[in-house]
Parts: sequence; structure tokens; C-alpha cells
Amino acid sequence: MNEKERQEYLEQYKKEKEKGVPFFPDIIFKDAVVSLVIFIALVALAYFVGAPLEPRADPADTNYTPRPEWYFLFLFQLLKYFPGSLEVIGVFIIPSVAVILLLALPLIDRSPKRYFLRRPMILGATILSVIGVLFLTIQSSREIPLPPELVGGDQTAVLYTENCAPCHGPSITVPVGVNLHEIIAQSRHEGMPAWSGDLTSDEIDALAGFIISPAGSQLFTDNCSECHQVAELVASDPVALKKSIQLGMEFAPHAEVEIPDWNKSISQEDQTKLLNFLVAPDGQRLFATNCAPCHGQSVAFAGGEEQVLDTISQGGLHLEMPPWREMLSENELDLLARYVTDPGSVPEGEETFQANCANCHGSRIPSSEDVEAARQIIAEGGAHDTMPVWGDVLTPEQLDALVTFTIAAAEGTSVEIGQELYSQSCVSCHGEFGEGGPNPSRAGDIIFPISTAEYLKTRDDFTIRAIIAQGQPNYGMSPFGSAFGGPLDDEEIDAVVAYIRSWEANPPVELPPEVVIDVEQNVVLDTKQIYDQLCSQCHGLNGEGGIGPAFENLQFQATRTDTQLYNAINIGHDATSMIGWGDVLSADQIQQMIQIIRRFRPSPVSGQPTTAAVSFSSDVMPIFQAECVACHGNFGGWDASSYTSVLGTGDHAPMIIPGDPENSFLAQKMIGTQSIGEIMPPAGLLPEDEIQVILDWIEAGALDN
Amino acid sequence: MSVHIGDWLDERIGWRNVWEAIFLRKIPKVNWFYTLGSATLFVAVLQGITGILLTIYYVPTPDHAYDSVVFITTQVPGGWFIRGVHHWGASAMVILAVLHMVRVIMSGSYKYPREVTWFTGVGLLLAVMGFGFTGYLLPWDQKAYWATIVGTRIAGVAPLIGDPILRIMRGGEELSAVTLARFFGAHIWVLPATLLLFLGFHMYLVIRLGISAVPRKEE
Repeated sequence: MNEKERQEYLEQYKKEKEKGVPFFPDIIFKDAVVSLVIFIALVALAYFVGAPLEPRADPADTNYTPRPEWYFLFLFQLLKYFPGSLEVIGVFIIPSVAVILLLALPLIDRSPKRYFLRRPMILGATILSVIGVLFLTIQSSREIPLPPELVGGDQTAVLYTENCAPCHGPSITVPVGVNLHEIIAQSRHEGMPAWSGDLTSDEIDALAGFIISPAGSQLFTDNCSECHQVAELVASDPVALKKSIQLGMEFAPHAEVEIPDWNKSISQEDQTKLLNFLVAPDGQRLFATNCAPCHGQSVAFAGGEEQVLDTISQGGLHLEMPPWREMLSENELDLLARYVTDPGSVPEGEETFQANCANCHGSRIPSSEDVEAARQIIAEGGAHDTMPVWGDVLTPEQLDALVTFTIAAAEGTSVEIGQELYSQSCVSCHGEFGEGGPNPSRAGDIIFPISTAEYLKTRDDFTIRAIIAQGQPNYGMSPFGSAFGGPLDDEEIDAVVAYIRSWEANPPVELPPEVVIDVEQNVVLDTKQIYDQLCSQCHGLNGEGGIGPAFENLQFQATRTDTQLYNAINIGHDATSMIGWGDVLSADQIQQMIQIIRRFRPSPVSGQPTTAAVSFSSDVMPIFQAECVACHGNFGGWDASSYTSVLGTGDHAPMIIPGDPENSFLAQKMIGTQSIGEIMPPAGLLPEDEIQVILDWIEAGALDN
Repeated sequence: MSVHIGDWLDERIGWRNVWEAIFLRKIPKVNWFYTLGSATLFVAVLQGITGILLTIYYVPTPDHAYDSVVFITTQVPGGWFIRGVHHWGASAMVILAVLHMVRVIMSGSYKYPREVTWFTGVGLLLAVMGFGFTGYLLPWDQKAYWATIVGTRIAGVAPLIGDPILRIMRGGEELSAVTLARFFGAHIWVLPATLLLFLGFHMYLVIRLGISAVPRKEE
């Protein structure tokens, strides 16, 4: 606008004003009318709707869905389009630019044109902004999660809708290899709760799978949910999962069920989605499930991504082992075979192993089940199957995630350096797992565990660093920092701190502190309790196995002598993560532990161990023969001498209602709840276990088996 | 009699000049859209009055905030109504301010000579948003608490200044009694003062420059 245009405008405005009306009463009247209408509307809203008040603020309630007031919804929605590090664009850049543009409007549009159709740019921008804000607001209110019943049978989708959707919207995009389980469990940023308190580990795994492959969750619901719970399959062994889909009814556990040929009914692509859901392509979890049993927390490694991918996908084929029979004597081969099968039994094998095998195998002894097989592998060498061919098992997404994680984990060298330094400088007092123990520098004093979640949560890095650097002279800990005359420089201390901190995410095989201290004080713990607390972490509460072998496996029981078990518990097994418990458990306790281990038996699928085992001919009939037949079989009435007569005879037949012991007259007579006559046998109750056998047999359907 | 008092006062405070300058000035003929500004002002005054009434019973501490709001709603005569008007007034305020702004854009009223009026107007809009943001923590209910957690965290994302802003808003790392006190202070002292300042200037300019005329098609 130049000077002339300004003058023109002012003159024009002057004319308009003269033609116009006085502010009072004309304009005031209009204003008053509008204000009155608004006032009435507000009064009506206040009267009929009122101001909402939700329950009192509860900072502990992680299930609450935070939603801002409606006029901030558009901003809230905008954020959802900028996940992760892009967040700053949605939060800061766009709003700042918008406010600046708004403020600067008179400086941007300086033309003399005033009629709106003559300013298409401004008109367009305004309309676009208004539509944009409206769209975002509507979109946001539409994304208020659906009530769970609308989602259908997809349990994981319900879980997601209830817990994640309120903040994250209908889906979350995550980069390959992200440590999703850990993020969900421990929360990544403020405002996001740590879900480990509210959700089970299985639920978190399922959510991770759902986030990465929602379609897989639907496929699971459609194809598997009739027989399987999500929790039962999620994050389980990918080899078995893959097989179960590909082999169909030929897969052993599926042999008895009528299932369609999934290779036909589920496309290859969908199979991948399903597998991605069940075993979420979450590097850390994949590594923990598949690699950690052999490789520990990470693989020390310095190659590129391609190389890792090749190694993982081609599996054991990368290991080309020489045929050792050309180089070693028969005796040496035997020794090695026995050593790798059970290192404890032939300590002298270690030397041979170190000399020949350690170059490639490191200190980790390849574990082998039986001596013959081990001997053959050693003798023949070649590309033996040391590592599964993961390329056949994992989906491309899972492989990518695993590669990303493996590399990231290998780069976390500060943890490894820290571990090294820890084992040099700290182990002697704090123990291999930070479990503490007697204080060597002060008699009668106990060093408390430093690996407990509580300890780690209540000390920040700064504190731990200071303790390491300056020591704790009052407790007999000398300073380790070089500034205080100790051996470690700052970087090394940082590495140790990083290692100690890593226990938080990856708890070491945990010796519950109270056990350690109790043993120090010679308090005798119930061995079963020790099993439940310690051994079960790897071997399962019912001996079903896990990281360690399954005790319920009959083959395991048959191929181990008590001596072998004793040695394994006492000194551990170098080839596996089994550590020696000899320092913790007394010889008696180990003996008792062997008894406990010996008691494990495979649990039948039905989950009712005794019921399934009862047989009429071998369990029930002998009882009848011994206790009943003397009368019932010779004197009329109920006849207990054969299966058909047991079920078919009697004054009050039927005596037995299969599957319903409570209402079976025979059972009532035995336990004394009968309505007619005396308890049987007349001499009094049978021994409890015999009654139980008969009850179980009826419960199981009173079969002739 | 009234004329008498009027004269007596005029002699001493000169109200007739002000009256003539403000109310009897001539103004171009405008349409109904031009009432949005005074409607916003009206709601602002209403918010001020209901807000002042609410502070009589409201206690800005986490222990008592929720209870005092419940007390206002259930015990104080007409308290529920005052709170209702204040609650809905907040939404009305935002809607009216935005509509008023759209009207100003459409009629090109932000142009010469009213640029500064526009600047103060944008300031007023931001103040209104500020009122909205600080206001809904005050009842200390679930919505208040969690939405403020999310809201302050959003502010904390800004580069460099984000973290200090977050700490200033929360008065520490976490949402606490300090946060509530701060939001309350901002809501009833800082923002109203800011609003009055901008509003006074805005009004002065509107009266001085006159309300803009409805642009003709060729303009």
C-alpha cells in the first residue's frame, strides 16, 4: 500500500462513517442481542448439561486415557502423525510457524485489496487451515477407541485397544529391530506407563506382535484360537511354530486333531504375518529366545550387517570343522567326546579341548547329549549342524530384527568391557552376579547384593560411579578410581557402571539374597523350596524344562546316573549356563535335590495326572478283588467281579455314573455320603488312596481299560 | 434530578466527553458478523465474574482442590451453576475468538491502519488458549491430571528450551502441588493481567480507528 492508496482508504472510510450509524444505540443493540443469545445458550448448557467432574486424580492409575479439552484435540491429533524423533515437528515447529504466520499476517498481505474474493491466497489459506483444524479435531474424536466388544474375538486387539490405542491411535509404526518388549514393559518416555506391572510377559509379547503384525493377530484368531490361547504360543520356539504350520497334521502335537492344510488355506504371505505376530520381530526377544541359550547376552563380533545376516540365515553351515580323526588319537577322541558330554567327569579333557578346540569354540564347550554322537562329530568334522539354519525358520522381518539387535548388542562393548573389569576387580567381594557374601576385609560382615532390582533402582549412575571411584573405606572397600590411587580410569569405571546397570534389564541368574545369607548362617532351607526358587527358573516348576533340560523327560531320567546329577549340581556344566551350586548347597541338600529331580514325570496333556493314569484292570479291579468280591460276587446284589457286572448289577443300579463320582452310589457308599444302608465295606473306610483311585476312575469316565 | 447529578459529575470527571467519544461516535453500517468481537468481550467479562466467584471456595492444593470443587458443585448455593457457566464459557470463548478472527481475515480488517489491532488480537487469542490450558488442571480430577501430564510433556519436546519450559510449567520434574499452584497463579493472576493489558490496547485501537467498513466488491 503506498501513500496514495492509504489516503484514498482513509477518505473512503470517512465517507462510510458519515453514511453510517451511531455506535449507541444501533451497534450496541446488535451486540446486546448477540451477547444475550450467547448468555442464554451458556445458561442452558450450565443448567441442563453442567460441568463434568471425573473421579479424583489418581497418579497410580495407568489405565486412564488422557484426552485434552476439545479445543486442543487438533494439536493432540497432529502429534500422532509425527512419531518418535519427528515429534518435534508436530509439537514445536508446525505450531510455532503457524503462530508466527498468523501474527505476521498484516505484514505478509500488504495489498490494498480488501474484498475476500479479490484475495484468493489468503482466502484459500484460511479455508485450508480451518478445514485442517476441523479435520484433525474430528479425526481425533473418532479415534476414541472402540469398546472391546466391537473388536470381535481378537483378544490381542482388545488388549491393544484398551491399553495402547488411547495414546497411540489405531496403529504404531516401529522401525525394524526395535526392542519393543522392553519398551512396553519398562516404558520409554514420560507419560507412558511401565506396563510390566499391569500386563503379563505373555501379554506384552502379544502386544509387541500385534503392533508389528496386526494382520497376524487376526489370522491367529481365525485359525488357531479355537485350540490355542495367545499366551501359550506367543514368543515360543519359532522352529516348532514354523513346523506346525508347514507340516499340518504331520506335526506331532497336531496328529490327533482335524486341521486343514494350512499351506493351502493360508497364503505364504499370511503365514509370514502370523509368524511375525507370534514371534514378534523384536530383536532383543528373538535373541533371548533363540540365541541366548548358546550365545549368552550378546555375540562378540565385528563384521557387517550382510555378514551377520548370512551367518544367521545359513546357520551352522558356516562352521567348517576339520576331521579330527586324522590329527588325534582314538584315546584323545574318546576323551574329547566324553569331555563335551560331561566336562565334570573328565577334567583332564580340558587340556585337550583348550589345545585343539578353544580356538574356534572359545571357552564355551559345544554341548552334546551322548558320547557316541559327539565322538562322531569330532571325528568327521565338516559342516555339522551346530547352529540351526535360521533362514528356514524366521521370517524376513524377524531376521532383520535379529540382525539389527545382534549388531547393536555387539556394539554395546562398554558392557562387555565392564563385565571383564568387573570379573577382574569386583568379583572377589561382590560375587559373579553381584550377589555379595562375607566381607573378606571385615570378619563377620556381610556384603549386601548389588544386583537386586531394589539396589539398582535406588542408586543412580552418579552414586555408583562415586562408590567405585572413591571406595567405601568405612566398609573396607578401597578406592578403585585412578584419581584416588585405584586401578580404573574414568572410562573404565563408566564401563563397570554400564555393566552393573545392565543387570537391571538383564537380571543375572539371580541368587535371591536371602538364600545366600541364610546359607551363610547355616539356616537349613527346605530343598523343595530351593528348587522352586532357583532351579525352576531354568528347569521349570514341574521339571518341564526351559533354558535347562526337562527333568520330566523320561529319556533324561534314564540316561543320567545319580552321580552325574550330583556332579552337575555340584560343579555345574561348563557347556551350558548351568552353574555349580556346590558353594551354596550342602551335600545333603544336593542329595535331596536329586530325589526331587527323580520324582518329575511327564505331565499328561489333560493336566489331571492321576485321573488319566487310572486303569480298570490294573488299578481298580485289584481293589474290588481284595475288598469287595468276597461278598459282592457271591451273595447277590451288586457284583464286583467283572467290568460289566460292576456297572450293570446291584439293587440300586446303576452303581456308577461315569464321570460323576459325587452322584455315583458306589462312591457314596465308600465315603459315607450314601442315603440308603451302611457305609461299605462294613469294617470302615478303605485306605484313602484306594478310594481316590476309584473316584478318579469314575471321574475319568469309568472306562474298561 | 438525574440531569443534575450528570452535570455535577461531568463537571468533575468529564464523562460526557468519554461518552460522546465512545458511544455517540459514528460508525460504518456493518453486518451481524461484526458483533463477534463484542460477544467475545462479553463472554470474557462473564468468565471474569464467574471465575472470581469460584475462587471464593476453590482451594488450589492437591489435597483440597478436588474436594473444594465437589463442595462448590454440591453444597454452595448456585455453585454448580456458576461452575457450569464458567466451564461452558471457556469453550464459547475459544469458539467466539476464533470466529472473530476468521471474520477479521475475511473482511481484510487487519490491513492499514489496523495492523497493531491485529497483533494484539493474536496475543489475546494465545491468552485465551492459555486460560483453557491452565484452567483444566484446577479441578484436579483424572482428566485434569492426565491431560496436563500429556500437555506439559508436549511442551517439553521443544528443542533446547523444551526441558526448561517443562520444569517451569511443572515446577519440577513431576506434576505436583507446585504445578497446581503455578497453574492456579497463571490462571487467575498472570493471564488475566496479560489479557487486560492486550484487551485495553485492543479496545483503545478499535475506538480510535473505528470499526472497519464491510469491503465493497471492487475494494
